[in-house]
Amino acid sequence: MRNRRASLMLAVLSVATLTGCGITIPADPDGTLDRVTDGTLRVGVSQSDPWTVTEGTGQPQGTEVDLVEAFAAHLDADIEWTAGGESDLVQALEAGDLDLVVGGFTDATPWESKAAVTQPYAESTAPDGGTARHVMLAPLGENAFLVELEHFLLDGEAER
Amino acid sequence: MSADRRRFGHTELPARQEDALRAAIRIEWATLVFLAVTIALVYLVLGNSQAMKAAWIEDLLSLAPPIAFLVAARIVQRAPNRERPYGYHRSVGVGHLVAGVALFAMGAYLVIDSISGLISGEHPPIGSVELFGEVIWLGWLMMGVMALTIPLPIYFGRRKMALARELHDKVLFADADMNKADWQTAVGSIVGVAGIGVGLWWADSAAALFIASSIVWDGTKNLRGAVRDLMDSRARTFDDGEPLPVEDRIIDTLRARRWIADVGVRLRDQGHVLHAEVFVVPRRNRLTLDDLIEARDECIALDWKIADAVIVPVDELPEEVGGAPRDRQSERNR
Repeated sequence: MRNRRASLMLAVLSVATLTGCGITIPADPDGTLDRVTDGTLRVGVSQSDPWTVTEGTGQPQGTEVDLVEAFAAHLDADIEWTAGGESDLVQALEAGDLDLVVGGFTDATPWESKAAVTQPYAESTAPDGGTARHVMLAPLGENAFLVELEHFLLDGEAER
Repeated sequence: MSADRRRFGHTELPARQEDALRAAIRIEWATLVFLAVTIALVYLVLGNSQAMKAAWIEDLLSLAPPIAFLVAARIVQRAPNRERPYGYHRSVGVGHLVAGVALFAMGAYLVIDSISGLISGEHPPIGSVELFGEVIWLGWLMMGVMALTIPLPIYFGRRKMALARELHDKVLFADADMNKADWQTAVGSIVGVAGIGVGLWWADSAAALFIASSIVWDGTKNLRGAVRDLMDSRARTFDDGEPLPVEDRIIDTLRARRWIADVGVRLRDQGHVLHAEVFVVPRRNRLTLDDLIEARDECIALDWKIADAVIVPVDELPEEVGGAPRDRQSERNR
């Protein structure tokens, strides 16, 4: 009994103190949001027309590219684009060489265990007639960055 | 439940134990309802979190002991018959084994899951969730749901522990341990998610590992107890702590009889009730049937748990019930 109360108190206290110290909740273990803000957002992009178009001009285009540009503007960040295949991009995300990967991913993505999948921010009709719910991929465990991105995507700015 | 008296096979329960049994059946049904609600609720906030998935699998496992208890409580009422001369009491032992395995599996799963998370440096992602039009951090919701699942298991566990003592019911005891495991993992998840919230990726796995070790210990204790009982080891208290005191009481009571020189007892825990083999060494060479019947009835009257007592007159006590070491009875040719 005493033990349980003690651990509950400890949990409440530690959350309370840490919030008092000005740590935001959730926080990034590797500080992605801090680094990106007023810095550089390293984005991987794989071809998935009309969400992302990398072929041709050299400069990526598409609705998701526009969204990422708006998000970067929201953070006062410059964007460094890396075009490539999904597999390579997710690997780079896991290694910490990218901060964000876009490419028409849906919430049925098989990359769930290698990347943090955002909440679906838009819906479209999938080729099989079902509903495709669109997501982006962020680094695993960088929860402040993930939540900031999701806030941006869900709070109206991304309505279509 | 019908109004007829509950019994364990031929054993009529004293009023106190009968009430305890009814209360135990009620509380196990309540546990099942509670678990069904929790399982549904946790499933809804699962998200992509591996930690919450683990919590959900644990909830599924904690269904096993209440179900084992309810099945055993039903079967155990049947009276012994020609095919089942020892009755159906052992269904409790089987239920105890099932509950022990579930508890152990839960602990082991949690240990392996959290150690592999720590070794591979898994950074659990916990994103946002939209709740009533507000976008909030899913972690808050997880902690809230987990906090809701704490108070009832604490209450269930304490009640079941008291009832297990009253009924000498080891399935109930194992289930009380399971309830303890449930609320402790919920506290662990809260601490873990809070830790993730402040940027400690390892917090969830570390908290789970800390709690899992105590679950593995409880599982091992129950498994060992169940196997011991199924192997007819010396009967022990409901928590597999001490040898049952009734063993000594039988010996003391019968030793007080004038015609008895020495007594040895072999008790086997059938589940709830005990079968007693009482070896007596008479002082004289002639015994009457009345002597034996009186001795038997006196044993049975000592404790409601003694369902069956046989009095075996012998010239010397067998070694395993306190006699002097010598040849085994079966090895003698006399």
